[in-house]
Amino acid sequence: MTRRLVVERRLFFVFAAFMLSVPWLIPALASVFWVNVITELLIWSLLAASANLLFGYVGLLSFGQALFFGFGMYGVGIGITQFGLSFWPAFGLGVVSAMAMALVCGIFAVRLTWHYFAIITLVFSLIFYFLALTMKPLTGGDDGINFTLPPTFSFGGTQWSFTSTNFQYFFILATVAACFYLMHLVVRSALGKAFLAIRDNDARASLIGLNVYVLRLVAFVMAGFLAGVAGALFAFFGRYASATYMFYQTSGEAVVWAVVGGVGTLLGPVVGTSLLILLREIVSTHWEHYSLIVGALAIIVVIVAPRGLMGLWRDWFDRSRAREQGETQAVPHTEPRTEP
Amino acid sequence: MSEAILRTEHLTKRFGGLTAVDDLSLSLARGQLHAIIGPNGAGKTTFFNLISGLLPPTSGRVFFDGQDITGLLPHQVSRLGIKRTLQIKSVFNQLTVADNLWVTRQAGKRFLHPFRAASRDVDTRERVDRTLEEIGMTALAGRLAGTLSYGDVALLEIGMALISEPRLLLLDEPTCGMSPAETARAVAKIRELTHKVDIVIIEHDMEVVFEIADDITVLAQGAILASGTPGEISVDERVREAYLGQPEDEDYVSEAENA
Repeated sequence: MTRRLVVERRLFFVFAAFMLSVPWLIPALASVFWVNVITELLIWSLLAASANLLFGYVGLLSFGQALFFGFGMYGVGIGITQFGLSFWPAFGLGVVSAMAMALVCGIFAVRLTWHYFAIITLVFSLIFYFLALTMKPLTGGDDGINFTLPPTFSFGGTQWSFTSTNFQYFFILATVAACFYLMHLVVRSALGKAFLAIRDNDARASLIGLNVYVLRLVAFVMAGFLAGVAGALFAFFGRYASATYMFYQTSGEAVVWAVVGGVGTLLGPVVGTSLLILLREIVSTHWEHYSLIVGALAIIVVIVAPRGLMGLWRDWFDRSRAREQGETQAVPHTEPRTEP
Repeated sequence: MSEAILRTEHLTKRFGGLTAVDDLSLSLARGQLHAIIGPNGAGKTTFFNLISGLLPPTSGRVFFDGQDITGLLPHQVSRLGIKRTLQIKSVFNQLTVADNLWVTRQAGKRFLHPFRAASRDVDTRERVDRTLEEIGMTALAGRLAGTLSYGDVALLEIGMALISEPRLLLLDEPTCGMSPAETARAVAKIRELTHKVDIVIIEHDMEVVFEIADDITVLAQGAILASGTPGEISVDERVREAYLGQPEDEDYVSEAENA
């Protein structure tokens, strides 16, 4: 294992320990408000991960991930209000409908690449955004759907539900962590390598026998799954579903978070999302045009560090490591020269 | 005579008004190294694209080992065992040398396990190690393919063709842009391969062609101009005129006669 991986592993354990202690640490240091910010941040990093799976691992830039996020939200909202579902079936409905939508959209979209792909995903999400706004009886239109939260688990008389901030936090942390673990498995599997091959060179990938179309579709549905889980969690978190989050601005934000953090790395989106959302929460209370800062930051990162903050860190570490090694190797040459 | 490994019947490809491959019927026997030569624009690469499924033919049919493969998609053709390299060297630049081979080996499988770590697939790993040795790139296994020298990329491409256990190998100008030393290395490798697999090669370097080919087809303007053994082709007058060009002194003589 390289030195960098050792360091990264240690940083990850510190990060994990921090995440597990958030419900106690943060109220002690600041306030419960920040626990909710971190909870929300976890959900948004999952949406960024969905954009990252497509852009960073398969080479497809999607501006439509909010569509599947929205389907996750509405699946939960409509499941609870219209069908009277309890927590888990509503969760399932949200995720499955997001994946089904991804399959339908993907069948058309993954025939295309690059800007054509970006445009068709954008168009798909706009179509359903406006549909959601107009189908008032089902979606509540502009007002969205408000619902009362069903309990997550109940054994006999005791119930666990999102009304407890701590339970809500840990449930969302566990679900998001599980999704990232799944993505980690996929990325290092045979399927993940095939994705990378397609990202690199799709013509060559088809010549070695990879079915590029089907593999892109698989990736698209997987990304739909991640976005759907994020949307369903967000619905439970906010106790409502609304078309606002299906607008392409949300998709664009997911792409920006992923790009700033570093596409093609598993945890880059978490870094990018954390940074930009914390920035938003801190700056927006003082200055309403905080998105100017986000925009400037995104432009700087794309120019200075095309592989995002993750890439910047890796390059920096590898370079300083190489310099260290260079110096130790250079030592013998510094011996004083003996005159003949 | 057994069924030809590759046979085309009246194969034609038109791009608008341009006929790139014109009513091409040829039959390539097993166990030989076939070379396709011809001036630029003769339709050689288009011919490969038609076989490997990158382009659909306008008309005509392609048979591989007796099976009609006309109109199949690239990955379907590839899975039947026809592998090809591209004229402009193309590997997976962001993947390591070992991963290039790894993914190529796995690509033919119908099911790619989505959750099992790739590194746990011992069979594939051993096969990758063996191929790395065969092409002499073990030391470069961890390098990103995009950082390799031109000659090494070409070797890697041959390794990728090897590891997929092809039945027919289509090599599109394998020595194009190589230094003499690299060319010699690649030619030795291709020669070695002919014992295991049928090969069709497109090549511009005449020395290479006459050195390794058992049988040569000359294309000009999408049609067959001549075909035969290297000995026959080298003395064929039409080929000399259309492709190799008239020797300068003969030009001089004919000019003098006409004067």
